[in-house]
Amino acid sequence: MLVRTMCRRALGLAWVIPALVMLAVFVYLPLVQNFGFSTLTWDIYSGDQEYVGLENYRRLFDDPVFWSSFANNLWYAVLSIVFQVFGALLLAALVESVRRERWQRALRAVYFIPAAISLTVAGLLFYFVYEPNIGLLNHVLDAIGLREFAQPWLGQESTAMFAVIAMSQWQGFGYCTLLFAVAIQRIPAELYEAAALDGVGPVRRFFQVTLPLVREMTGLMVMVTVSGAFQVFNEVMVMTSGGPNNSTQVLGTWLYRNGFVRNDFGSAAAIGTVLFVITLTIAMAQLWITRRKRVEW
Amino acid sequence: MRARATTRYAALFGASVLALTGCFAGPPRAPVADVGAEPEFSGTLSVLTKFAGDPLSPYFEDLAAAYERQHPGVEVELIQETDQSIKDKAKTLTASNALPDIYFTWTGNWAENFIRGGRAADLTEVIGPGTTWGKTFSKSSLSAFAHQGKYYGIPLYNNGKFMGYNKAAFSDAGVEVPATFDELIDSCPDLREAGYEPITFGNKDGWPALHYLQQLFAYNVPAAVREADNHPETATFEDPGYLTALRQFKTLVDSCTDTRGGTNGVLYTSAQEAFARGKAAMYYQEILEFDSTTSGGSLKPKDLGIIPLPAPRGAKGDPKVIEGAPEGYVVNARSPRAALAVDFMKFVTGPKNAATLSSPPYGQPSTVVGAVTPNTSSKAVFEGIKKVNGAPGLVGWLDMVTAPEVADAWLAGGEALISGGMSPEKVLESVRRASESAR
Repeated sequence: MLVRTMCRRALGLAWVIPALVMLAVFVYLPLVQNFGFSTLTWDIYSGDQEYVGLENYRRLFDDPVFWSSFANNLWYAVLSIVFQVFGALLLAALVESVRRERWQRALRAVYFIPAAISLTVAGLLFYFVYEPNIGLLNHVLDAIGLREFAQPWLGQESTAMFAVIAMSQWQGFGYCTLLFAVAIQRIPAELYEAAALDGVGPVRRFFQVTLPLVREMTGLMVMVTVSGAFQVFNEVMVMTSGGPNNSTQVLGTWLYRNGFVRNDFGSAAAIGTVLFVITLTIAMAQLWITRRKRVEW
Repeated sequence: MRARATTRYAALFGASVLALTGCFAGPPRAPVADVGAEPEFSGTLSVLTKFAGDPLSPYFEDLAAAYERQHPGVEVELIQETDQSIKDKAKTLTASNALPDIYFTWTGNWAENFIRGGRAADLTEVIGPGTTWGKTFSKSSLSAFAHQGKYYGIPLYNNGKFMGYNKAAFSDAGVEVPATFDELIDSCPDLREAGYEPITFGNKDGWPALHYLQQLFAYNVPAAVREADNHPETATFEDPGYLTALRQFKTLVDSCTDTRGGTNGVLYTSAQEAFARGKAAMYYQEILEFDSTTSGGSLKPKDLGIIPLPAPRGAKGDPKVIEGAPEGYVVNARSPRAALAVDFMKFVTGPKNAATLSSPPYGQPSTVVGAVTPNTSSKAVFEGIKKVNGAPGLVGWLDMVTAPEVADAWLAGGEALISGGMSPEKVLESVRRASESAR
């Protein structure tokens, strides 16, 4: 009996070993390597390395661009929560309140289309929307008599970061809306009917029925959105490359610039470690939230 | 129990880190390339080029196919990258000790990194000035890749930066071609009046601003001072010419471009397009771009005129110096096929292929003596190369001649100067700080 159990366990282990090896080689080993690199100054040309302990981290925390990049990631996170979580939830509730299913389906498709476009393509598309000479946005402002509001959106420090964030919201909004729509569809219709019989209006229905019953999805979306906000890279690279004057750097692009422009791979690895710690913390929080007791109905 | 497990895992993690930090000890110590040996015509030869995209990519593709036909045992594997992407590619391949047999390089600090790091083969015995192959190149292009008396690079084409102007636009506006920097600025209102953007300029990538700045530095700062300031160990950036040049650049952007402070939001290629479509009167461009700006747009080759960026009157530097540098290829110092690599590059730089490279649609003026003639090249390319060869000296690209941290400070500073985020004094201060930290 004991032997059979042990054999079965060994067999089970044999099945998962390939996956464990892949994980170890392609996920955990690079993580450990990256931490190792962050303790070195490293000349990639000669291969000379010098162990400097935590010096790269000290320099990193003294670097104003690191902090402005971190602040940009925070802006990303905050605005993504506002638009992609709460904005999408509101829109999903509105879409789901449409009575005709054909309209519902059409609206869902319309909102989801931006999510089907790759970030690089969306970034390029919006680069041309914002372009000061031929850009659509300035032309529209001009056409509706708001010429004085036309800006070189990506060309100046004061507007560049928000212009990039706006593109991200456009791209991610539909996907979040769809997820919320699915969560709302799972709420039993009887609850809404009961609320209607009690004379509850649509706004109160939203706050007293919909909102509490999509709490789990909202929590999950907040975590995913915040985590995504700290992993931003593509859209910034495509639209501004972190400029002008480093005003749109985020941690991902600052990591890249340290490594591939400034040849400072030790600092780049240190930023990588900081990013890992941030996203790991968010992931742990997400796990903890999703393990909490579910809402039952 | 759990605490003990945590300790165990932490110890394991720490040990792994310590073990792994010792795992990356630079280029593998393979035998040094023997570039003078008799080539063995077999195997795969890998080449990293900067010719991705239209119209350049067919050049190396055709050459590779022709070489394979000549030597059926050889396969040429091309890795073609763009001007921007090759910077990342080259560094990634270097860091992972996976450089190909032959790879592209700029001159200056960029090439010296590979040379100092033992990644570039010493080609003196095959391409030095006294050798048969070496004699086919212009002396200045060969010496651009020299380091401590040895020759490391195979110069492929020459390059220089010029103010291209639309002759028809100047004629429409009734404006003379400017001879000084002040005249250039003064011509802008008239050109705008005539319906043209005086100078089209896109600085999304940051480096186009550095091209203006480096030429203005050359005009305003004595060469010896600039040379010392290129090296963090000797740099001071105290010469007043730097501030003068920064102010002149700001004046040019504010007075002569339509995008002014928003120029950072415009792609370099969008600016090129505006000039090619005849919307702009001037566009600061490399020789390599001359044939692109006059192919397919409304700007005809006969309408393209070129002048060096007009120098300010009474400037303290050298008003005759031109910004530019040859670009070329090096052979991987650890390549087991170094002799074959040399043979392939001799084929690439042969008279016939050099002439093809210098002709439209490529328009890359070869460094091979006699390859650029009025018959092989367009009028503008021929004129540009004549000016480059006639200049008393060339000044290299700002982001290639100095330390990467300093180049990065110039990139950010140039953008900030354009947008008004930093004054010239603040830009210079940030460059000084970067230079001090790079010591």
